[in-house]
Amino acid sequence: MRPFDYYKPKDFQEAIALLSQEGKKTFPLAGATDLVPMARDERWLPDIVVDIKALPGLREMKLTDEGLYVGAAMTMNEIAASPLVKSKWDVLAQGASSVGHNQVRNRATVGGNIATSSPAADTPPSLLVLEAIVVARGPEGERRIPITEFFLGPRRNALKKGEIIVGLILPNPPEGAVGSYHRISRRHGADLAIVGVAVLAYPKAEGFGWRVALGAVAPTPIRVPQAEATLSAAPGKPDEAVISQAIQEAVAASKPIDDIRATAKYRREMIATLMRKAVEDVLEKL
Amino acid sequence: MLHEITLKINGEEYQVAVKSHHTLLSVLREQLGITSPKRGCENGECGACTVILDGKPVNSCMVLAVEADGSTIETTEGLAKGGDLHPLQEAFIEHNAVQCGFCTPGMLMSAKALLDFNPHPTEEDIKVALAGNLCRCTGYYRIIEAVKDAATKMEAKK
Repeated sequence: MRPFDYYKPKDFQEAIALLSQEGKKTFPLAGATDLVPMARDERWLPDIVVDIKALPGLREMKLTDEGLYVGAAMTMNEIAASPLVKSKWDVLAQGASSVGHNQVRNRATVGGNIATSSPAADTPPSLLVLEAIVVARGPEGERRIPITEFFLGPRRNALKKGEIIVGLILPNPPEGAVGSYHRISRRHGADLAIVGVAVLAYPKAEGFGWRVALGAVAPTPIRVPQAEATLSAAPGKPDEAVISQAIQEAVAASKPIDDIRATAKYRREMIATLMRKAVEDVLEKL
Repeated sequence: MLHEITLKINGEEYQVAVKSHHTLLSVLREQLGITSPKRGCENGECGACTVILDGKPVNSCMVLAVEADGSTIETTEGLAKGGDLHPLQEAFIEHNAVQCGFCTPGMLMSAKALLDFNPHPTEEDIKVALAGNLCRCTGYYRIIEAVKDAATKMEAKK
């Protein structure tokens, strides 16, 4: 691994100043499960690594008027086991518990999972159906980015140089909402998802409102509005014909690629299989 | 960049100067001579480098040593007490859960972290806890049996 300098600031001013340095490759560090392997392979070449775990609020989780605030440096295992997360945002607990294996989940953080912006990451589909808001802080102060606008492409996102993710706001979901996340990978534990599907539904005046998000089948994790509209238009619980149509629409909205983990064709088949499982799961809980 | 850090490893305090880019695994093995954590894939896939960091199993190949400043670390060297093997070590021997042995220290630390937190694990709990530890010899069956047996014996001793 190429040498770099490491700092662990306790306030944002110092952290942002370190990360904003011109002419240097600067990286924030939280769980290190992306940074260390990438730096060792010299795919990332940091000059300066800034450990953000001691910054105020990054290791916090609390209820606010807006919903649940989750600090960016909360780990996957902390999120998966949290009674607060499970109370109304369980689909995120399911996503977090699907990441890697136990050793990785003890270190990998939710902020890092979205900052790395892998299309195959396990928490983004859940965050998309929960309509999470990313709280970022940088040289120009704090701003909020809806998760739907955060991902720009494989490993690309809306963060600017010097900006770090401070935390996520998970808005209170509609009354009675239930969610389900299903994913498939080559090895249970350790490997990235081949396909991930998150589904959330809630009772509305007539029938139910539905949200569906897919991971690992497009340049970014995506919502599939047409499939959602089809499910939500059903007068009550969607029947087999409606579910099949929605699945077809979700598959049509995806843009999977062939890669080392699976072919595009297999991914399309798996969207159908996993979405059906997730919808059936949700229907059972509604 | 050098950092003076303090680590409490298996109950003993160590002060060591570490480079920013050195991992906990390399500092344990090469600077402190604690060699039970093994260098396997160095990519978070195999679990051979697993240590318990502040009560939780982690891949020491993916922790910067400087990040661990002030932490408590447990490795397989600390399992036996006063010449007596830990019940997990005894169970691994009894059940022939060791063949080449390369994965064993990592398996032991993942299993110990599980039993510290959950003394009555189900088979599924054991499988989830060990999912990050690869073994290319045993087929896992004997390892799972050993962990179950150790849990039973540890409970009986209480």
